[in-house]
Amino acid sequence: MAISATAASAGLGSPGGVPGVSSPSKGTRLNIGTGFLGAVIGYLVGHWLGNFIASGYQAVQGSGANNVAIVLALALGALGWLTGMGVLSYPIAKLLGHDAPEERPEAGWGRYLRFTLDHKVVGVQYMVGVLLFFFTGGLFAMALRTELLSPTVHLFDPNRYIEIVSEHGTIMMMMATSLVLGPLGNFLVPLMIGSRRMALPRVEATSFWIFISGLMVILTAPALGGFQTGWTGYAPLQTQSNLGMDSYLVGFVVIGTGMILGGFNMVVTIINYRAPGMRWSRLPIFAWSMLATGSILATATPVLAVGLYMGLLDRTVRTANFVNSHGGNAFLWENLFWFFGHPEVYIMALPGFGIAAELLPVFTRKPLFAYRVGAAGMIGVALLSYFVWQHHLFQSGINPDMRPLFMLTTELISIPTGFIYLVGMGTLWRARIRLELPMLFVLALYFNFLIGGLTGVFLSDVPVNVTVHGSFFVLAHFHYTIMGGLVFAFFGGLYYWLPRITGSMMNETLGKIHFWMMFIFFNFTFFPLFIVGLLGMPRRVFEYAPRLQTLNDIATISSYLLGFSFVIFTINFVWSQFISPKPAPPNPWQSRGLEWMMPNPLPFHNFSRIPVILSDPYRYGEPDALPVADFGSEELRPETAGMAVDAAGQPIEKGDA
Amino acid sequence: MGKGARLGLVLALFVAAFGLVTYAVVAYVVPKPPVIDFAAGHSAGTPVDLHLQVVGSLGYGPHPTYVSYLTMNPSGKWVHTTRWDLPANTQVNVTIDQYDSGSPLRNQYFGGVTGTLGGKATLNGKSFTVLNANNGAGVGHTFTMPALGVSVPLWGVSSTAKNACNQAAPCPSSAAHEVVKFSFMTPGSQSVGHTYRWQCFVPCGLATVDGNGGPMQAIGYMGGFMTVEG
Repeated sequence: MAISATAASAGLGSPGGVPGVSSPSKGTRLNIGTGFLGAVIGYLVGHWLGNFIASGYQAVQGSGANNVAIVLALALGALGWLTGMGVLSYPIAKLLGHDAPEERPEAGWGRYLRFTLDHKVVGVQYMVGVLLFFFTGGLFAMALRTELLSPTVHLFDPNRYIEIVSEHGTIMMMMATSLVLGPLGNFLVPLMIGSRRMALPRVEATSFWIFISGLMVILTAPALGGFQTGWTGYAPLQTQSNLGMDSYLVGFVVIGTGMILGGFNMVVTIINYRAPGMRWSRLPIFAWSMLATGSILATATPVLAVGLYMGLLDRTVRTANFVNSHGGNAFLWENLFWFFGHPEVYIMALPGFGIAAELLPVFTRKPLFAYRVGAAGMIGVALLSYFVWQHHLFQSGINPDMRPLFMLTTELISIPTGFIYLVGMGTLWRARIRLELPMLFVLALYFNFLIGGLTGVFLSDVPVNVTVHGSFFVLAHFHYTIMGGLVFAFFGGLYYWLPRITGSMMNETLGKIHFWMMFIFFNFTFFPLFIVGLLGMPRRVFEYAPRLQTLNDIATISSYLLGFSFVIFTINFVWSQFISPKPAPPNPWQSRGLEWMMPNPLPFHNFSRIPVILSDPYRYGEPDALPVADFGSEELRPETAGMAVDAAGQPIEKGDA
Repeated sequence: MGKGARLGLVLALFVAAFGLVTYAVVAYVVPKPPVIDFAAGHSAGTPVDLHLQVVGSLGYGPHPTYVSYLTMNPSGKWVHTTRWDLPANTQVNVTIDQYDSGSPLRNQYFGGVTGTLGGKATLNGKSFTVLNANNGAGVGHTFTMPALGVSVPLWGVSSTAKNACNQAAPCPSSAAHEVVKFSFMTPGSQSVGHTYRWQCFVPCGLATVDGNGGPMQAIGYMGGFMTVEG
């Protein structure tokens, strides 16, 4: 670790600006409106080009389906969107030999609708983006549950049902990869490690606008006839599916590119942009989780991208990568997909645990128990995640002799996962817990993940896996880990950090109603699904045995109430953050985290002088602990950040004052 | 921006988003093949005649190459649909004109007749309970309604037939075809409002892997719904 304390040597150029950033006059600025225009133009050009190229193909004539036209339309539409947003302005200017002026800080709502290099604005953009797509995916889930209210009264036909399943799954999985790293990672990590920005601000902003374009592409699928493969996109169904499959393949390639960029940027930032004194042993545990997550994103996603590209070639230029009868191998897709797909599970699990471990010391007023074990556990999970993917293929043609090996590696990963879990339990042990709103979500995570994790251990065993494969048991398991873990942690993190992000508190009463409804009805929605799964109800099928109707109805009605809890959150969010904001105290939770030690609102470059880190942020209740950092200037000392301090400048605990 | 203006902006955005979502949902969900109502004006205790045909390729629409069922409506016109309303607790006399070719079955189970009145059906007037698909033209399709246990194999038209139907649906009765007849009972009044899915269970999805896909379960083609009315 050798980071200079000066702005210039930290790669920041002259104070007050980020070098090489275009800042045209206000009237000519590209924004979301020009982005949409670019997307429409790109789509039309791509469609015309595809028809020009391929309308004479034998496979296209009379079929009513020109995959070349749709793939080009979607790809150029995404490119047009990025061009219209101004993502390509800088590289194009450099290619043409022009210099671009520095970006200046700007205020107002307009900056949230533009390509901007301020990591705090990108964080907020991500926050709104992931919420919009989370709720969109949730509406699809409601539709599915409505269909399952009755085994004999149908809202959809079988194809429409599986299309909605596919759309729901794909949107949620795409969104969940960025749910924490996008908004909270980009906003908080520079603040937590004492940096003025992410390492590659343009890459960071690009990853967000790619994320949006990828999700917009996947939302075109229903208009193109949908796709019937579920989120896994298995070949050979992939090869023969409707035009909507092109939306899946192009959308996932696009969003995968954003995931690679976002993950890479996060890793580079944490390694290279830590402030002086920010040793690995002082790195906030949330930053450790972002490091592990970013590593997986940057290294696992390219494998998926290659698979998607091969699938696109099969559907457009008639290669046969995944077509067995022509010399290809559909099983190859399953391997490529899950080689990404299982590490992706940890992309979705680790950030949740990062948030939980970060919040626990604040609300228990104790140091984080076994901090190094927790950090090692996160890196251990990230490494082991590459050695377990074949457990998804126990029934798909894997050599039976290999199944014990992958059963073992899958069970092995429960060890570092257990480390992380026990760090939480150890911190809770004999703690004086403050049951404030964010803490409720953290505790819920540990409850939910216990159920999700234990059922995961069962699922890793070949005999159980073979028995319940493809059933609602599996569905309930991964909803308990992803929604019960990641999503609960995300909302806990939002309630915790929103005062830092926006400067406004959320309404606590509405927040608690949101929490209790979400917690209770999440469990009432998904726990019965373990039972119906064990009783033999398959996933992705719109009919089921009439004897399972009661349990399904409990799940469906609970899912409506679960959905209503998010309505309450949205009302609270919009009201308290936009319509009638209530200013937050500078450090409402009395945290020792570096991100809370700055004035409100945050300065454009975060720190006027790079702080020198003196200790880790978890030394609650330790009378001899050093302050977290030396800021070197009065305006950034803890007392000016709203914390009560003792004579040594040490923050005083609420109960100690 | 004042508080009232912010509130107005949020409400306007909400209304716009709600309208967009509603439009998308309605546009996505509603388009379906039409429903033919055999229950309206039905006299209790009298059977309902259901006349269907199976064509090798529909010849029009978004999937012109799909194999498909068609239904004759009460006024005697062929309609491209597979959705019917039928009265509860009623005998349904089904006639299927099968214009598509056949082949041996992968699963001989689907050569048997189940769930019909008397456990039998007729092929061109001759009663049968099972068809041997390994002989002759073989079985082209089935009419199978799993929840009622009804399944009847449809014998295929010979591939050497001189006057095979080669026009867009519906096929004329002068074209080569096989006639399969059978009867089944709709469920009682306790099932009013329930919808029963039916479909062909012989892999018949041309150009899909092993025939398991495409039209095979597509509503309006080789799959459909029967809704029981009071």
